[in-house]
Amino acid sequence: MTVYILAEHRRGELMDVTFESISAARRLNDEVVAILLGTDLADHAEKVAKYADKVLVVEDERIENNTEAYTQVIGEIIKKDKPKVFLMGNTSMGMDIAPALAIDLDSPIATDVVGISEEGGRIKVNRSVYNGKVLSDLVLREAETSVIAIRSGEFSAADLEEKNGEITKVDSPLKETIENKKFLEFVEPVAGAVDITQADVLISVGRGIKDKDNLPMAEELADAVGGVVSCSRPVVDYDWLPKDRQVGTSGKTVKPKFYLAFGISGAFQHVAGMKGATMIVAINKDIKAPIFSVAQYGIVDDLLKVMPALTEKIKELKS
Amino acid sequence: MDVIVCVKKVPDTAEADVSVDAGGREINKERLTFAINEWDNYAVEEAIRLKEEDEGTVTVVTVGGKDKEDILRRSLAMGADKAIRVDMEDPEDSFVLANVLCTLIKDQKFDLVFFGAQSGDFNSGVTGAMVARMLGISHAAMVNGVEVLDGSIKASRELEGGLNEIYEIKLPALFTIQTGINEPRYVSISGIRKARKKPLDVMTPEDVGVTEVKPMLSLEKMYLPPPGKIAEIIGGSPEEAAAKLASLLKEKGAF
Amino acid sequence: MMEVEEGNFDEAYDVYACMQCGKCTGSCAVSLRSDLNIRELMRIAILNKNEDLEKHEEIWDCTSCGICTVRCPRDLKPAEVIIGMRSSLVEGGTIPVTVRDALESVGTNNNPWGRPKSKRAEWLEDLDVKVKNISEGEEAEYLLYIGCTASYDPRIQSVSRAAINVLTKLGVDFGILGEEEPCCGSEPRMMGETGLFEMLVEDNLTLFDEFGISKIITLSPHAYNTFVNDYPECAKRLKEDDVEIPDIELEVKHYTQFLEELIDDGRLDGEMMNEFSGTVIYHDPCYLGKRNNIFEPPRKILNIIPGARCIEFDRREDRSLCCEGGGGRMWAEGTGTGERNAIIRVNDANQDGANVIAVACPFCLSTLEDAHVTAGYEETMRVMDIFEILDEVLK
Repeated sequence: MTVYILAEHRRGELMDVTFESISAARRLNDEVVAILLGTDLADHAEKVAKYADKVLVVEDERIENNTEAYTQVIGEIIKKDKPKVFLMGNTSMGMDIAPALAIDLDSPIATDVVGISEEGGRIKVNRSVYNGKVLSDLVLREAETSVIAIRSGEFSAADLEEKNGEITKVDSPLKETIENKKFLEFVEPVAGAVDITQADVLISVGRGIKDKDNLPMAEELADAVGGVVSCSRPVVDYDWLPKDRQVGTSGKTVKPKFYLAFGISGAFQHVAGMKGATMIVAINKDIKAPIFSVAQYGIVDDLLKVMPALTEKIKELKS
Repeated sequence: MDVIVCVKKVPDTAEADVSVDAGGREINKERLTFAINEWDNYAVEEAIRLKEEDEGTVTVVTVGGKDKEDILRRSLAMGADKAIRVDMEDPEDSFVLANVLCTLIKDQKFDLVFFGAQSGDFNSGVTGAMVARMLGISHAAMVNGVEVLDGSIKASRELEGGLNEIYEIKLPALFTIQTGINEPRYVSISGIRKARKKPLDVMTPEDVGVTEVKPMLSLEKMYLPPPGKIAEIIGGSPEEAAAKLASLLKEKGAF
Repeated sequence: MMEVEEGNFDEAYDVYACMQCGKCTGSCAVSLRSDLNIRELMRIAILNKNEDLEKHEEIWDCTSCGICTVRCPRDLKPAEVIIGMRSSLVEGGTIPVTVRDALESVGTNNNPWGRPKSKRAEWLEDLDVKVKNISEGEEAEYLLYIGCTASYDPRIQSVSRAAINVLTKLGVDFGILGEEEPCCGSEPRMMGETGLFEMLVEDNLTLFDEFGISKIITLSPHAYNTFVNDYPECAKRLKEDDVEIPDIELEVKHYTQFLEELIDDGRLDGEMMNEFSGTVIYHDPCYLGKRNNIFEPPRKILNIIPGARCIEFDRREDRSLCCEGGGGRMWAEGTGTGERNAIIRVNDANQDGANVIAVACPFCLSTLEDAHVTAGYEETMRVMDIFEILDEVLK
């Protein structure tokens, strides 16, 4: 069974989810072919070929940074080669491309997949639903090709077997330039002075911080411990912290040595952005909050009480 | 600008205890509360803002039983002009739902269609883009900014790492809306009462002309995740717990 | 409390009688530390210039303590004018997100704390005594109305448990509503959500009627105040609008009033208690004191506790300093800068030599508890609800 995956890249960088996609594809035990689209692909192709059985490279500047062109080109390749599965990351790009591709190909689709297997020729997936509180097993209907989008960070690419696959250039099957959906530019988040991806200690606050006026409390703790304040999505939605402080799939992926999550319930989008931290401590009133299942240590209490106390104790220990 | 917004009612499971029913294919819903899907609420707000800035209409659409009407009434109170409910059992999967919505929308007058980028229950995030494809119109997922140009929209898509990418997309188009694009207004109870006079059409699948399609996915079972590794809980009063944590952090070299 | 259409504040609140003397602002609990200037807001109301209310962020600073209404020489209700202004902001939809979320949560979860309805009775889990649940068909003379904050806030939950222990020991025939207990609506009303409040009055009176509840003991002065003062008025207005509302007479007491009666009946006295050691200072909550002139019952209870040395704040009774916990302030921090009233309060208590601040309101407990930690009195002072003190001393 052949599995095609998309090698996702942006602004000269290959995304981690590319290798996670290869890792997921390997669960189906067969040949993995990577599709690489856009311009300046030579370096990327080599990196991907190291772990894929084959890399198909389509150099065409009309495809670069255009999700519609991506969808059409992938569609043409799949229609021709008829792999059993097309797999990519459930990234922002995946959310734009995968469902459209499924309709174009008349294929079944499963997104945000955390587990994958084959049973009697049909693809079975595991998805986490209802805020991560329930798992579900689903079987995709019989089809020539099934489309799968995997959740970032779920399929480890740490132990990928080296394949040093062949790199094949393919003529662009894109029929015409996309006129209805034109890529204009990338816009950087409004930059603050702080880079949360570089910090060793993150004091991360969530909805439980309750009010903008409680943030100085977090800053104080961060100062005491020599760390930086980051946050979960709601805090940015409320405009309490700038966007570049946000940890999670729609914010930044961080791997600090210490991640202290205050009043963060642990929505999977958030957890995906921080579970690479060496030590995670969760402080939350709700013992059943999912954050406690990724944390090594937990305090079940009101962060507004624990946080200032912790600041004091740390100051004491330092002096 | 005439905008159609597709909305869904979902259970709030963020803090509630969730259990799976005896059949193993659904969660127990009796003790849960339900509300409009968070992403959809941002989508409704964005549509109303477009209308307020310029002119046009906002139509909200949902699929399901009569118990789903409250989210439509609420959207009407926010400022939508018209609501449509397709009266049928909850569709089996996103594909079946997309088919119903596409059939309904293709006969409506619209420039834009909005969906929430995903839903808080199954977080598939596929229905919007599927409908766009079925309608044969352009789409963008995870949209966190919309600017109206002449005959097109400048849309910002949220990427990983806080980066945005900007597209110019010709109308008609479909966007799936990401949270944070705006600050949804409060809808008061008397506002909902006053909006009772606004039109809410109920259509049967036959009225809509829905043809049956087979679902893409079949659910085998739902189950609770294994209790996994639970964090070691540091007990005591906030002060005691903080003291223990401070020592632990020191020991591990945090400061 | 009527619904105010834009531009008719003058009629709704009879504001023309206002002579702009400024007594309201002078007495205001927060005007010293925030931009709130009630006199100016009254002027806006008189001139009907309420189109720019969104710009007056300080409208959300009001704690609804009611002192302005007490002090007004023309018997006007400036506190209600602020609620009217909030109401017009609520109807317009532009309100602080935290207030928005609290109000939405009342609509969906029946509490402003954003916590699931299914967890409203979790505080019961640590209790040793069995409590009747009226919503499950058990009959009791009194409903003990816990309220949202004492149901969900981990610190205040201990008051709920203390109440159960104390009332059980005193042989009171009471029950609770458990998960079915509704939000009383006091905070939504103060936040200007008139329609939601009306809906709660309608639903709650129907619910009380359904379970045969006529006598209620409340933990919170806010619930007490709204049941006693706002419900009858609102019910009357709804009836005039042909809304079907059950005709029930509620006999509502704040728990300190109820306990005072037990003292008067000889069912509660110092003999039943162990010695308490401490100097106790009682903080009058606005909703018992300023709004309802209830000053004696809590003092009477504290005075029979053997060993408790009771002292008084200089600012007490109807001059008591508001803790800034009411009027929706739990969900709106306000424009205030400088020292919080609660900090001033715990400092005063410390200076007066108290080591226990006794409170009779969940919001006061929450704000003063926080303040006494912030001000560094954790080791030397305790903030306790009167029910907690009784739970500690009752044999």
